[in-house]
Amino acid sequence: MADPYKPRAPFAPWDRRQLPGTFDVEETARRVGNYKWAEMKLFEALGGWVATVPELDVKMRLGTHCYHHAWHAELWHKRLPELREMNPDRLTVPANDAMERFVEALTEPEAADQTIEKLVGVYRVFIPHFIAAYTYHRNNTSEITDAPTIRSLNFALHDEFDDWRDGEMMIQSLIETPDEVDRAAAHQAKLEKLMLEAGGIAGPGSIGGQ
Amino acid sequence: MRKFFPVEELARDERFTQITMRQSEADPRTVLLAEPTGKRPKTNRLTPDRPDASEAARSLMHGIFVGEIQALEGAGRTCFDFETGSGDAPDTVPFALKLDMARQAWDEARHVEISVKLSDWMGSEIGQFAENTVLFEVACSNDPVLRLAGVNRALEGLAIDVFTTMKEFGDMAGDPYLEFCEDWMLADEVTHVKMGSDWLRRVTENDPERRKNALEFQSVVDKIFSFGGTRSDSNESPIGLARRFRELAGFTNTEVQEIADVSLKALEERKAFSAASLNDGDTEHSETGTGTEQLADA
Repeated sequence: MADPYKPRAPFAPWDRRQLPGTFDVEETARRVGNYKWAEMKLFEALGGWVATVPELDVKMRLGTHCYHHAWHAELWHKRLPELREMNPDRLTVPANDAMERFVEALTEPEAADQTIEKLVGVYRVFIPHFIAAYTYHRNNTSEITDAPTIRSLNFALHDEFDDWRDGEMMIQSLIETPDEVDRAAAHQAKLEKLMLEAGGIAGPGSIGGQ
Repeated sequence: MRKFFPVEELARDERFTQITMRQSEADPRTVLLAEPTGKRPKTNRLTPDRPDASEAARSLMHGIFVGEIQALEGAGRTCFDFETGSGDAPDTVPFALKLDMARQAWDEARHVEISVKLSDWMGSEIGQFAENTVLFEVACSNDPVLRLAGVNRALEGLAIDVFTTMKEFGDMAGDPYLEFCEDWMLADEVTHVKMGSDWLRRVTENDPERRKNALEFQSVVDKIFSFGGTRSDSNESPIGLARRFRELAGFTNTEVQEIADVSLKALEERKAFSAASLNDGDTEHSETGTGTEQLADA
């Protein structure tokens, strides 16, 4: 065994984490507040839709995914006071008005024959934007000072990828005609335009390049 | 999407047939029949030695399956129907309560999955029995505290009784698969009841009138969920009252006794109602003050 008293480097040779990061505490709290708001709106919508979809397999998956996003909202809620925001509600807001309008449009479909629209909004628009914003944040924040946010981002991303795959497969299994392809694409385009206006989950700069 | 989704519009595929509590109670096939000798049977408990045990167990499992769907839908709606806030007024609920409801939605979704697989294991098909929609009706109240009382305390309390009965049935029938699954679901239901009790206490801490109304509503729902005596301490009821697990879930002895009393009363009313229906041949007979009417009043 090596001499336990021999000095060793504080960071092992394989540990390449760096101190610099793109976001200061204030900017991190702002983004985390936007994430919490968006995750809340998503889990509320998924919960509300359960009663409106006749497809049994979809109904069960929405119930499961509802909890995933509630848990993400809880992670962000708990992170805010650690980022000097002692009143988490103050930062639990949409990134901007366009994001609010996006959520209104997302939750508009209610009828039993609109499962495709419901799923497209969540799994082809909202969740891909979560994946993008979370990935950008994880890859640009300080790997040492902001490790708690990275840990939560990794947990959330794990769910987002799994849920996206579930959702995309449900959509593919529901689309049976060219008309339904058009319906899905039209709804996706409508929502994507609103998301474009919003600039992403955390507003312009959600994935950098502001 | 609207806030407060009407029970009549619950989305189902074509295999499902939905009925009301009134139609269910008036169904002569579910009447507690006397034996040919004219005497009442000693017990109606769901045990493997009953001649109709297989069919009764399948029917009960299907009832669990559709009940879990409605519980899933109800928990999901509570996430959506109310704004996030202090919970002091009936139009808001605390953030943490919504998180619990989302967690419950996941649990109920798993229970649907489990009961679909168990139904298949027991040899029945989706839609083989009618779906009574009274559970979601209770979950539709405009006051979230009434939902907690009605769903988490009354409905989930009933689930504790039903799962205990099914677990015992699995044990007696030598079916470890059934017993194993029921035991897991029972663990979740105890959690849901505790959740409801805790939130009811916290949200109404400074509003005794609201708490009183909620507990009254729970009492009405408990009577409805006795399904006309299907669940009670009496051996005439197929489903017993799981006193020990109810205590684990936070019910006091007094509360359990109140439920026992209301269940017995429901059993007596049901017997009278059934007798009148059979005598009249009139399934719309409605002079007995069934739970459904009381739910509407509440």
